[in-house]
Amino acid sequence: MIEVEKLSKRYEGRPVLEGINAVFSPGEVTALVGPSGGGKSTLLRCLNGLESFDAGVVRVGPDTLVPGDVRAQGEKVRRIRRRVGFVFQQWHLFAHRTALGNVTEAPMHVKGMGRPEANERGRALLAKVGLSHREDAYPSELSGGEQQRVAIARALAMEPEVLLMDEPTSALDPERVGALIDLLEQLLADGLTLVAVTHEMRFAYELASRVLVLHGGHIIEEGPPARVLANPHHERTRAFLGLGRVPALRTLGA
Amino acid sequence: MAGSLTHARRSPSLSQAIRPSFLLPSVLALLALLSACGAEQDSGLARVRRTGELRWGADAQGGEPYAMEDPDAPGGMRGFEVELAEALARELGVRARFVQNDWSSLVPSLERGSFDVALNGLEVTPSRSGRILFTRPYYIFQLRLLARRDDAAVTGLDALKGQRVGTLANSLAWDLLRRSGVEAVPYEGVEEPYIDLEQGRVRAVLMDDIIAQRYGQPRPGLRVVGDVGDGYYAIAVRPGEEDLREALDTALRNIARSGELRAIFQRWGIDNAEQQRMVDWTDAQSREVLAPAQTARMGWGQWVLFLQAAGVTLLVSVGAMVLAIPLGVGLALTRLYGPGWAARLSTGYVELFRGTPVLLQLYVLYYGLAGVLRLDPISAAILGLGLNYAAYESEVYRAGVLAVPRGQLEAAMALGMPLRLALRRVILPQAFRVALPGVANDFIALLKDSSLVSVISVVELTKRMTITAVDVRSWLIPGALCALMYLAMSYPLSRLARHLEARLERG
Repeated sequence: MIEVEKLSKRYEGRPVLEGINAVFSPGEVTALVGPSGGGKSTLLRCLNGLESFDAGVVRVGPDTLVPGDVRAQGEKVRRIRRRVGFVFQQWHLFAHRTALGNVTEAPMHVKGMGRPEANERGRALLAKVGLSHREDAYPSELSGGEQQRVAIARALAMEPEVLLMDEPTSALDPERVGALIDLLEQLLADGLTLVAVTHEMRFAYELASRVLVLHGGHIIEEGPPARVLANPHHERTRAFLGLGRVPALRTLGA
Repeated sequence: MAGSLTHARRSPSLSQAIRPSFLLPSVLALLALLSACGAEQDSGLARVRRTGELRWGADAQGGEPYAMEDPDAPGGMRGFEVELAEALARELGVRARFVQNDWSSLVPSLERGSFDVALNGLEVTPSRSGRILFTRPYYIFQLRLLARRDDAAVTGLDALKGQRVGTLANSLAWDLLRRSGVEAVPYEGVEEPYIDLEQGRVRAVLMDDIIAQRYGQPRPGLRVVGDVGDGYYAIAVRPGEEDLREALDTALRNIARSGELRAIFQRWGIDNAEQQRMVDWTDAQSREVLAPAQTARMGWGQWVLFLQAAGVTLLVSVGAMVLAIPLGVGLALTRLYGPGWAARLSTGYVELFRGTPVLLQLYVLYYGLAGVLRLDPISAAILGLGLNYAAYESEVYRAGVLAVPRGQLEAAMALGMPLRLALRRVILPQAFRVALPGVANDFIALLKDSSLVSVISVVELTKRMTITAVDVRSWLIPGALCALMYLAMSYPLSRLARHLEARLERG
């Protein structure tokens, strides 16, 4: 679905990503983990053209992003973005639109869907994320968890094949994490491909089919969560996970 | 004794007067004096003698041959009125000192004491005679009508009924035009009416022959239709300063009889046989010429004119704003999201229009570009103010756009929206909410700035007030009416702005 080849990016002279190669296959759930500043979020943002890069390519279906200014790559970038949804860490709901308005905005104005159809489908999506009763609420009136659900519904309204999530659990109360994992499991049953940057090992454990560990702009380890998180090969992965917590994680996964 | 309140001086004789035996009568006399005219002061002539200066007010912009800056002697002045002022001062035994003052406000400035006399082609008109004192005339001029050379249909004032005819506001020609059933178009400079005549924005121009000779007749496209009346220039003196007027009358008679007056006129090429009348001028003639007409009143006609002028102010302001808003949005977005060269161009536009006087911009647009862009006054006013305010609007919107969190644009782009769509659907609606109070504020400022368009001959509310104030010889009622009308237009806007601000805080 998405192929990344020799992707490199520097920021103010400092390398952020160095020769990343990765494939995200349909239906696969990937957790990008690693220490802060390791390049996880940057890699994620490169996957739908929110971030430009200096070398390598990103292939999404038939379209290929090349190094240089993303804005100059025009229609191609927009085609990619329609297939690859993005849920921001801080959600960024449109502040001047209701929950339903947030969900219907892109289908109506990007896809040209009529209002009745967009509303009907928007309501169905809000029902799916458990927010039927909040469709007329503005973002400022919604809790953090509710805003995230609207953001997920907004991304899904474009019927993407891939959903990218940046730190989906970081702004949630711990007791909400389980509910999010339940919701995503439900959505993944529909065949969605998911790539999520996360610090939450429980999220990686319970949801991911694969874990990528980024450190210093390199993928230093890759594999199923049970293996990578419980028995990391790379010393830095062990350091990052914290040796003391490895047994606890193993119990959790069992 | 009007005007004495504004420049009360401490009386030198006051301390001598305060002795026990004189105390009571002195205090009573002082109180009577205070209630009558504020305080004792130098009479006009005594003040001139004491200071050793005859301060004469004129507008150097009036130009040749009246009074203008001397190109050969920076800071110096030349013109026939400069020589006249010097001759009169010499007769009074003092020095002449020029005081620069906008021509249209010479009379009010004289009244408030900015100078001793106004001497600047002030025509003797009934409305002026009722307000200030005039000396005997020093020059007899003709009212000269000019039209375009290719426009043979203009044969005189009778042929111009209902047509636009340009002149200086509140001049003798202005009064004559208004009585003649033509549409009098007021200008504030001597060159502008002739530019507009050439451009076809007025059908004819009626001005004093001195002006016509210098500024109108040399233009190849124009021709003299004829002289339709005559009038007098005289020196204006503050009411209550009859002694100064008498001294000036005597001085004028002396220099007329000695031949000096006509010698000055000859040097400036404005002498003619008519001026011989100045030599034999009698006080009886003065009384006849200077008799004030009955004061006009603020009748219904004036109210209607005020309402019309308020309508013009509103039309110009709303029109300019309707232009400024989309242009401002475009400038702001170009500066924020456009390619480098376009952003620089947009920044340059803002700096140019915000950094230069709007008055200058109106002049350039209306007179300077008249050859390539022939706009009628109202269109030029709307365009000029609109282009100017767009610069301010663009900064208000830029601030509004910058106040929208960056994530909003990213979220829109991540959904596959092109930049334009994202700006239109996501960024601008939020930016407008932030910008609205600022926009309302600018609109109120624009309402008042619109008074500047009187320089391109548009009669809006403020111009109407000054015209009416001269007609009725009082600023009080026209001024209050003018202020009320501005308030009636701006107050609802202030309320709207407050309402929007309150809504924003809730939202």
